Amino acid sequence: MKPLEWCFKKSIWVYHVNAGSCNGCDIEILDALTPYYDVERFGIRLVHTPRHADALLVTGPVTRQVRERLVRLYESTPDPKLVIAVGACATGGGIWHNTYATLGGLENVLPVNIYIPGCPPRPEAILYGVAQALGLVPGVVAKQEFAESLSAEV
Amino acid sequence: MLKHTISELKEALICLEAGQVTLPYPFQPHPPEGEFRGKPVLNSRKCMSCGACANACPARLISIQDNGSIRTLSFNLRRCTFCGLCRDACPQEAITLSSQFELSTVTPEDLSIHAEFGLVNCRECGKVIGTQRQVALVKDKLQTCEPGFDDTGYVDLCNSCKRRAFIHNPALLMEVKA
Repeated sequence: MKPLEWCFKKSIWVYHVNAGSCNGCDIEILDALTPYYDVERFGIRLVHTPRHADALLVTGPVTRQVRERLVRLYESTPDPKLVIAVGACATGGGIWHNTYATLGGLENVLPVNIYIPGCPPRPEAILYGVAQALGLVPGVVAKQEFAESLSAEV
Repeated sequence: MLKHTISELKEALICLEAGQVTLPYPFQPHPPEGEFRGKPVLNSRKCMSCGACANACPARLISIQDNGSIRTLSFNLRRCTFCGLCRDACPQEAITLSSQFELSTVTPEDLSIHAEFGLVNCRECGKVIGTQRQVALVKDKLQTCEPGFDDTGYVDLCNSCKRRAFIHNPALLMEVKA
């Protein structure tokens, strides 16, 4: 068993960071904690400080203002840690991908372990993404490719 | 004391009445309802790479590039907001929004669509006119419309060459007027 797998055998506790999000993704994260979706039955719960957390759940396109705080939060989270980008903004910058006030996505600031796109993602999608980060379920997305010359030969 | 016990019993009864509310989601699939907009899917048979979707996309994630004799249409779905404007803009109805929502991925390159189409160059000057499918569609429409045009030889000319051809050959112009 790999060391990372062994460390994450216990319940994972997440710390939710809003890095300039519009609150859409934050509401969906809170939805996932309600009795209807109930992530706490898997031991996933929100904690109040990054020092207790196993995973950072980051939403938003990372504004210039929040960058320094985000790096400090990342550094104060104990190793091993997961960084989960929730929403289209954190995944690729969203519709603010090229504005002056944002850094265009989380990957420009922190090493990201898993991306959960969606605007906002459904609570199920967040649940699925966290489960995929823990290696419990496989990823289902695949790149769609097409070339006309190839299809003409077939 | 008794009052307290009674109120607790009442709460227990209410809980019994509510039953189980939690979704059995990870163990049973929970498909979205109605007109849910999930991951966009390109029907590569219908698409003729006209670029209407690239114009409509608010996140500017659809790009069209001409390179040599190939036009590349690529979607970077990482920042897709699933608004459906590309679907509405598509004249060929080639883009559909599937109900797939479990899009989490470790490698963000998975969230993309990449399609290549052959280009047609002007017969005279070599300027790019459009994709092979666009030209074929125009030819098809010209032949099937009322009144039909049988001579579609000028379809693979660019605008300026077409104008020149019409000036040098007024018979063509007459045919178009009819």
